[in-house]
Amino acid sequence: MTGDAFRVRHVDLDAIDADADAGDSPSLSIFWWKDLPVGMRASLPDELPYTKARLRQFTAEFSAAQMAARSTSLGAPIQATDEGRPKSALSLAAAFEAKNLIDGLDELATASSASAQDISVVICTRDRGPALAECLRSLAGQRSAPGEIIVVDNSRDGNARMVCMQFAEVRYIHEARPGLSVARTAGIRVSRQAIIAFTDDDVEVHAGWTAEIARAFAEHDVEALTGLVLPARLDTVAQRSFQFDMGGFGTTFVPLVFGRRFFEETRPNGAHVWRIGAGANMAFRRSVFDRIGLFDERLGAGAAGCSEDSEFWYRLLATGGACLYEPRIVVFHHHRSDWPGLRRQMRAYMKGHVAALVVQYDNFGDRGNIVRIWKKLPAYFLRTFLRTLFEGPPGRIGILAAEVEGWLAGLQFLLRFGWRKRRTLPPQALAEEKT
Amino acid sequence: MGYRLVEIELSKPLAPIELAPQHDGVGLIARWQDRLIGFEMIALPASSVLSAERLKAVADERFADRILVAKVDVELSARRRFAAETALPNLSIAICTKDRAKRLSRLLSSLDLIRWKSAFQSVEIVVVDNASVDATTREAVECFKDVRYVFEPKAGLDFARNAALRATTGTLIAYLDDDVVVDRNWLAGLAKACRDNPGTGGFTGLVLPFRLDTEAQIVFEQRGGFGRGFIRNEFHNTRFDNPLHPVGSGSLGAGCNMAFDRALLIELGGFDEALDTGSPLPGGGDLDIFYRVLRSGRPMIYEPEYAVYHEHRETIEQLRRQYWSWGLGMMAFLVKSRRTDEELRARHRAMVRWWFFNQFKALARAARGLRGRDFRFGIAELWGGIYGLAGEYDRSSARVRTIREQNR
Repeated sequence: MTGDAFRVRHVDLDAIDADADAGDSPSLSIFWWKDLPVGMRASLPDELPYTKARLRQFTAEFSAAQMAARSTSLGAPIQATDEGRPKSALSLAAAFEAKNLIDGLDELATASSASAQDISVVICTRDRGPALAECLRSLAGQRSAPGEIIVVDNSRDGNARMVCMQFAEVRYIHEARPGLSVARTAGIRVSRQAIIAFTDDDVEVHAGWTAEIARAFAEHDVEALTGLVLPARLDTVAQRSFQFDMGGFGTTFVPLVFGRRFFEETRPNGAHVWRIGAGANMAFRRSVFDRIGLFDERLGAGAAGCSEDSEFWYRLLATGGACLYEPRIVVFHHHRSDWPGLRRQMRAYMKGHVAALVVQYDNFGDRGNIVRIWKKLPAYFLRTFLRTLFEGPPGRIGILAAEVEGWLAGLQFLLRFGWRKRRTLPPQALAEEKT
Repeated sequence: MGYRLVEIELSKPLAPIELAPQHDGVGLIARWQDRLIGFEMIALPASSVLSAERLKAVADERFADRILVAKVDVELSARRRFAAETALPNLSIAICTKDRAKRLSRLLSSLDLIRWKSAFQSVEIVVVDNASVDATTREAVECFKDVRYVFEPKAGLDFARNAALRATTGTLIAYLDDDVVVDRNWLAGLAKACRDNPGTGGFTGLVLPFRLDTEAQIVFEQRGGFGRGFIRNEFHNTRFDNPLHPVGSGSLGAGCNMAFDRALLIELGGFDEALDTGSPLPGGGDLDIFYRVLRSGRPMIYEPEYAVYHEHRETIEQLRRQYWSWGLGMMAFLVKSRRTDEELRARHRAMVRWWFFNQFKALARAARGLRGRDFRFGIAELWGGIYGLAGEYDRSSARVRTIREQNR
């Protein structure tokens, strides 16, 4: 990894013929076709500017992938499988019949103008005033204004109140009990709309965020949505390491349905629910909370670490529900900029992950969760260690050490029987699974 | 034992493929509207029939996605977007050969079918006879119209390649080995790559199997062969997704099908004659020239439509020797580059480490799966690597000096 800051730039493939603004710094180019995000690519200055032939190649590859994933005549929607990357269901006959693909793409790329009046946006925050202000500014600029914006202040002294007062439309509530799940629950309780969309205080949302959530729920019969989380900046080594070495928050640009198939195929190794998305960009129909309960208060930042979002998806899938990943729903996340912060974060992720596996095992009795704790995770540590030793990057070892620490810290939850008994699952959800 | 190689055109109805008793599989070369879009090997019982339904299932699974990409690409060209207008240069085709008149004739015949209707300003063909022992090579060349014959007495592929550099006049020089046959779109593919990528230092292309008649040929192709896939690629001096690049220049393509800006090669001093010296060190020359072109700051393009068919080694013994020579050539190249390119020393060191790690990993995998043949191939490549690291480049340089003195 080079020491230079990466520029995050946006390229509309529909609008340009030549790559005029490449500059001379390394960059992560995020490609769009009008309002549709279609792909991204990191490049060093030697590889820039992209030649016309390169742009044309990107356009062809990205457009074909979008068409295969979004047009029903070509096999959409794509079901997520255990392969981890989208595999289209395109057939020879369908590909053969396909015509006017670029016109079709133009149609798909039209931005949503759906009303977002039945969406409650919930942002949980804790001691991050300036970042929260940026987040709220981006929400104030939505093409379709949401029905309400709720800020749940999880700080001890309510320090986000001042920030919120600058935004007339924001409802402020203070939840002094620490924990992200607790705060989210508080947000859900006071919200009034039929759809609840969550984002984090270190995120700026795209101007079409609420409109795209509204459209996706209108078009698809799912209880949950997740979306694309792009990096806002890649200035520091920690931010680049998180994005490039750890995979960031995912790099898939085609919609995927995470349903029964995905759950069954990944279940033997502890269903890979973390692949579904990120808590920084997710939305639910209110009814799902009545059906399967709220976020587990033992998990999440401020409690076991994280994974309160993926444990919720686990419950959703285990009880027959589905989540649509729709990359048109875009947010920009500010990754942790300092190295110790990144290490702490990775430690917390792994600790929370192990805790969530224990919870998932207790809720549904899937052995796969235990297999993952004792077999898959140690194997992943060993593999990563060996690969890093020979292939680098050197910084990865430090992060790996943090992950191992987090794993060790997470093992305690196996033995904390009192903690394990404190379930927050509504009884009817469990009953449904058993029948 | 053998696979039947079949070309299928996916834009036409698919017909079942019948196998003869000596065939136990099919190698499918798939095209869509004449454009190469995929290759797939399918093992089958002898004398069986690959039904149209099964063929369709394979096409759904493996080729449909690529058809869609090709279709969008065609639509983009129709809209004249991203079109670059560059005049095509004069092209010289150089074929280096030694004592293989029959194969040479086969290659020249395949070129003769396409050379007269190309978009290049002019096409010249030069055959460099690399110290053949008899006159059959010259006689073979004389059977073809407008093919020049040059004799290079110093035995060694890179002597011959450099002789071709001096004997030709084109702006672009395309090298072919004598054990290939060109695809009918070979020239058109090169022309397209040339037109779309002004300023490129060199081109490499797809290498498909010419036949899959023996076990060794099938095994080689199954293990990856010379294939670099059906997706265009672009290479520069550095690469974000590979910190060792351009030291691992094998990913660019293979020396049996490559083309360069001739002036650039002359400026770079041509090929390194101590690599690719025939039987003692049969490799490394292509890695070295790809590497040096990229280091000069000029990009290289991999273009799948610029395709040839390569006659793979016939016997398992020859194949094992080929893997040995890959290890040997790779390490000879790395030792040389480490010496001549101080700036990237850390990458060369890391590459040696990575290469051995990778070899051991492959060996462990073969051992665990009790795959004796893969294990022996792995040992051969590893042994070649060790031998190459232990002074092969210097030994080869000394041998080449002797050859030069003898031919003064």
